[in-house]
Amino acid sequence: MKINITLFLLLIIILLSAFINRLQTWQPHYLKLVIPKGWPKPAKDIFAINPLTEEGFQLGRKLFYDGKLSKDGSIACASCHQQFAAFTSFDHDFSHGFNNSFTTRNAPGLFNLAWMPALHWDGGINHIEVQPLAPLTAPNEMAESLENVLKKITADTGYKRLFKAAFGDAGISSQRMLKALAQFTGSIQSYNTRYDKVKRGEATFTISEQYGYNVFKANCNTCHAEPLFTDNSFRNNGLSLHPTLMDMGRMKVTGRPEDSLKFKVPSLRNVALTAPYMHDGRLYTLSQVVEHYRNKINNNQPTIDSLLKNKISISNQEKVDLLSFLYTLTDQEMLHDKRYSAPQIDAGILPKHLH
Amino acid sequence: MKYLLPIAVSLLLLFNLPAIGQSKGGLQAPIKFGTATIIFNNTVNHQPLVLIDSTYTNTFGEQYSLSKFKYYISGIRLFNAQKKWVVKQAYYLINQSIDSSLQLNIALQENSYDSIAFLLGVDSSRNTSGAQRGALDPLNDMFWTWQSGYIMQKLEGSSPQSSIVNNKIEYHIGGYSGVNSVLQQVVLPFSSNNLLVIKRGSNSIININAEINRFWSGVVDVKIKDTPVCSAPGLIAKQMAANFSKLFTVSSVVNNQ
Repeated sequence: MKINITLFLLLIIILLSAFINRLQTWQPHYLKLVIPKGWPKPAKDIFAINPLTEEGFQLGRKLFYDGKLSKDGSIACASCHQQFAAFTSFDHDFSHGFNNSFTTRNAPGLFNLAWMPALHWDGGINHIEVQPLAPLTAPNEMAESLENVLKKITADTGYKRLFKAAFGDAGISSQRMLKALAQFTGSIQSYNTRYDKVKRGEATFTISEQYGYNVFKANCNTCHAEPLFTDNSFRNNGLSLHPTLMDMGRMKVTGRPEDSLKFKVPSLRNVALTAPYMHDGRLYTLSQVVEHYRNKINNNQPTIDSLLKNKISISNQEKVDLLSFLYTLTDQEMLHDKRYSAPQIDAGILPKHLH
Repeated sequence: MKYLLPIAVSLLLLFNLPAIGQSKGGLQAPIKFGTATIIFNNTVNHQPLVLIDSTYTNTFGEQYSLSKFKYYISGIRLFNAQKKWVVKQAYYLINQSIDSSLQLNIALQENSYDSIAFLLGVDSSRNTSGAQRGALDPLNDMFWTWQSGYIMQKLEGSSPQSSIVNNKIEYHIGGYSGVNSVLQQVVLPFSSNNLLVIKRGSNSIININAEINRFWSGVVDVKIKDTPVCSAPGLIAKQMAANFSKLFTVSSVVNNQ
């Protein structure tokens, strides 16, 4: 009997302490990045010191769609990274920046970022959390100072609640803002294309798609390695130096002549929606891209990739099949996932500035 | 009576668990610790640096004035013949515009020390670990946005010898990895008759002098005329960081304050 009372008291005490604990401490809802079956490990554990939570994700989502991050309020991250275009700028070689300016490179798609060891076409950004500093402050993008962004966000009382939910108190700092943005962008994932479904045995390729997949495996797979469809390397793919932009690519970051004209190999996921193509958007269709690799590679450049020196020989029929394979890389689920959409869309209100 | 012990144990657990969780990071055995204040005196030709309003002359006879002078210090260690004392890791941004940033307070074990060492800059791991706060907050304007990494030293101003717009001089010295690393370990001995003596309950002062003219000539001669600007990692940044590491000397140690 005495033992029973002891146990009972103990149980009460434990329950009581757990209850008090629950009242006092901040308990966010932890989320996990999906690591699809058969995929390599992410390049780095981007959420190791930035634990992914529903609250952090939602704060990041609001920030991503908020024009306050730009100087005149007209440009949000989402202005140039549009969900319906796989988070690129739809049908734009360069994106619009502050005061009718243009960016100097094609906006890359934002998905599967945890698998990218470095961001930007030249790999200049070494961590997802510090990436937003570049577009926020670039005079031809959002053109704002970090200080002003924080002032505007602090003045917006709506954010206090979101910061508190995400980080336990209402303190607003650059670190928290950047970590929240990373929770949102780092969570955008593409692993439900038709290709993925075929791989999982949930769908089958058409004959043309299957032939195209064979062409792809024979000619493209080294650089655009499955399942991410990039090996994240930097390569010179034989585009001539742009006469006015004079963009030397990776060399700008490393200072090494051997990196001249090298750019990051982009993922081919959602490639049907990310036109125009290449780091400066100079090719408007996928057909032109294939033509480039078949006939137009400038192989007089000393840093030309060894795999492209002799161009890629693909027949017209193979080209047709290859294109139909590339269309299987469109991820309808990612493109229509409401969790990635503007928070206003959820509430039935259309955002003001999405051009 | 049999249940007194379990109740006592559970009460202890209830009241002590949060405290155990929070006690991390406190000083162990504070009884053996004293403190020191490191004061950075930024000077030109032995005169305290005055931003904007003063004109100086470097060893090549080139005139200049400075509007910004900032640098990172981290990884502070103190030595004696037997022992190395590693100060709890912290990052300090010495900023001539902010008086309070010129003094660092550290805790260290009771002992006598004959030299101090620190890393001039921010280690590569902090350069690659995402958004930071405090001295490393990008709000401090010491982080490159287009190519991730800290600016380890920043000097801005003007010089009639500079041929660029508004006679600007602008040195943003950075680069954390591989051949481009500008990180410099600085080791400064104390004078043998003026050692640092740390005693429990007392504070010592270490006066460090940073003589700015060595920035152009500490190791490699770099004339303003030839190099008025450095704003990216690379060979010039490395040379200027090597020069920067020669700015520092210990001018005095004052014990038992």
